[in-house]
Amino acid sequence: MTTQELTDLLGLKALSTFEPREITGVFISDMLSDVMAGAKSGNLWITVQTHKNIVPAANLVDASAVIVTNGKQVPEETIELANKHDIAILWTESQTFELVGRLYSLGLATQ
Amino acid sequence: MAECAHTWNMTNRQFGFAVFERCSHCRIIRAYYAEQDSWDDYKEGEHHWSIVENAQTFRFDLECEECGMYVSYDDFLGLLYCTSCLDDCPVEILRKKYEEDNTWILVGFGFLPESSANPYSAEKLEVLSEYFNQRRDTSRSRVKILPNSLIDKLSLCRGDFIHDVGMLSLEPPEERKPLF
Repeated sequence: MTTQELTDLLGLKALSTFEPREITGVFISDMLSDVMAGAKSGNLWITVQTHKNIVPAANLVDASAVIVTNGKQVPEETIELANKHDIAILWTESQTFELVGRLYSLGLATQ
Repeated sequence: MAECAHTWNMTNRQFGFAVFERCSHCRIIRAYYAEQDSWDDYKEGEHHWSIVENAQTFRFDLECEECGMYVSYDDFLGLLYCTSCLDDCPVEILRKKYEEDNTWILVGFGFLPESSANPYSAEKLEVLSEYFNQRRDTSRSRVKILPNSLIDKLSLCRGDFIHDVGMLSLEPPEERKPLF
């Protein structure tokens, strides 16, 4: 499944522009250090963090997309940086738990 | 015997804090990794240290799963990404150059002030670049980690460390204060 297909399936809001990518798995954390230490290439990163530093962290580990949950507002500077680095920032009002359930039902899991 | 091409694994991961502190007398900045965060001012010889920032981070080592070569990063402070703050900064010039090849530039820092005088080992940064590139789909893009000695005006640098800032608060600050 690609990031674009997932966006359409779950009705996620795309905050940045991006080239669709294959999703390899899911990584959930609100800590950049956790992500840098453990996320894998192509992973969807689910977080409530919205600071612009999520972009270089996602870029470093080659995440396929960042999904911001709980309806957290994402600053414009985060979106601008994501556009610059072709990082997909997706957004949902759903709670992380609910989103993870839907991802699991689609066959996505920890890589 | 053929030289090992190395397949790096991250090992010995420990979560802790990157501590940034400044001496109120000589204004020098000191930064290092610590297992515990600290917010208290303290005296040490002629220095009077005050905390500028505590950020959650982690330390690690790398080990080659093929030949067992071990590279320690116990003196590594973190990775800083360039925010293009100074047009004439060598990092910004290299950033633009590498961008054409879809290569993303980061700057690797050892502890401060030590790594201001003696930049972090270029060999270790090369291994670190190799490690992160092995973790990614390099047909799309690559990363290149440069030594901090390329930043010629550190006091003016507005690059940002990829650290967890303000994680003890539910609402991290929108703007991180300049560290240097």
